[in-house]
Amino acid sequence: MGSLMRNAYTAVLARGEWWQAALQTEPYEAAWAAEALFFVRVMQTGDDVADGSASALARVQISPDGLHWIDEGSSMRIAARADSLAFVRVREFGGWLRLAVEVPDGSRMQVVATLALKA
Amino acid sequence: MPVAAAHPIHADPRLSRYDPLARVIYFDDFDCGLNGWTTLVGNYEGSIDTMTRSYARHMQPMLSQITHWDSGTHGAFDGTYALKIATRAVPGERNTAIKRVTFRRASKIRVETYFAFKPEANELKLSDLDVRSVGLLFDLQDGQQRVMPHLRYLNALEGQRMNRWQFKQHSTPFRSIGNRSETVTHDHLSPNDWEDIAGAGQTLCYNEIPTKINWHYLRFDFDLATMRWLEFQCNDQTFACPDTGSITIPAMPNLACMLNLVFFCESDTAKRSFFYLDSVLLSGEF
Repeated sequence: MGSLMRNAYTAVLARGEWWQAALQTEPYEAAWAAEALFFVRVMQTGDDVADGSASALARVQISPDGLHWIDEGSSMRIAARADSLAFVRVREFGGWLRLAVEVPDGSRMQVVATLALKA
Repeated sequence: MPVAAAHPIHADPRLSRYDPLARVIYFDDFDCGLNGWTTLVGNYEGSIDTMTRSYARHMQPMLSQITHWDSGTHGAFDGTYALKIATRAVPGERNTAIKRVTFRRASKIRVETYFAFKPEANELKLSDLDVRSVGLLFDLQDGQQRVMPHLRYLNALEGQRMNRWQFKQHSTPFRSIGNRSETVTHDHLSPNDWEDIAGAGQTLCYNEIPTKINWHYLRFDFDLATMRWLEFQCNDQTFACPDTGSITIPAMPNLACMLNLVFFCESDTAKRSFFYLDSVLLSGEF
C-alpha cells in the first residue's frame, strides 16, 4: 500500500440501527487488510425488552464475489443490555466481510457496529 | 513538438494523465489507502436519532479491487485498489464519500478524477439503467456565504435513460436539531431540485455487461474568489457553465474557509450501485 506504516481503517457498518429478527450488514470490501475486528455496541434495547433477555448471535460471513456468502466460522454473542460490547476477530478472509445477525424473538437492540481493519 | 515538452509532468506517470493547476492541494491514489476519505454523516444533538434518516443510512467508503464472479479482479486504473462508494439495494438510495480540508487562498480550484460506475452484478443482463447517478459537490464557505456547487451525471431516472449532466441550486429547508440552538441540518442531496445543465448531454462508455469497467476522466473547475462555476470536462467533452448556479446560503458559524469535497452515488433500482474512483487530484491556482 505504498508505505512502511501499516494501513488501518475503521468502517461503521451500523450507526444507531435497530436490529431485530434476522439481518445482514452491508458487504464490506477489505482485501487489503490482513486482520479484522468486528465490534458491536448496544446503545439501548427496546422498552419492552428486559435486561438479560436472550443474547443475539452474529456470525462472520465471507464471500468470493460479494454476492454469495458462507459462514467463516467465527461468531459473537451480543448481550441484550444497554452498553454491552462484543467483538470477534478474523484473519485470512479474502475480499469481503459481513455479519449475519440473529436477534431472538421478543428482543431488539439499537447498535453501533464497526469493523476495524489493519493491513 | 516532443510530447514531453507539452507535458513536463511525465516525470511522474501517475500525474501525467492529469492536468493540475499550479499547486496540488491533494493527490489521493487509493492504492495507498483511504487518504482521509470517509462517510458523510448527518448532524445530531443529544441523540443519534435526531440525524436526518437519509444521512444516517450513509455508509463508509471502501477500497475495492473490483472483483467479479465471472472474471476475477478487474483492478483500478493503475495499481489494485479504487475507492468504492456503494449504495444499499433500495431504489433511490444514495451513499457518499467526503474529504474535509480548508483553503488558504480563495483561488481557482480544480478537481480531477478517473471514475467508473456499475450496478452490483447479480443479474445476467446489461443492467445499464440500474445506477441513477454519480456526482460530486463542494461544500465551501467564505466570509459572506456558504456555497455548495452540485454536479451529477444522471444516468437513469425511474427506468428511463437520461445520460445528462445536472446541477442544483436549492436545498431542503433548514431544520433545527436538539434544543440548544447550536445545530441545524438540511438535505442538500435530496432527490429534488436537480436541473439540466443546458447542452450537457453525454453518452459514457458503460460497456456490455455489468462486470466490464471502463475508466472515465472528470474535471471540474470552480473559482473560490467569485464562488462561481467555470467549466467541467468528462472525457472528450468540455462544458463551459459560468452561469450555472450553486446552493447558496448565508455563512454559518464554525465553517470558515471550508473546502469539503463529496462524491456520491444514487441507485435507481433495488440493486446496489457502485461508484469507483481510481484517484482524486485537487489543485489550486496559487
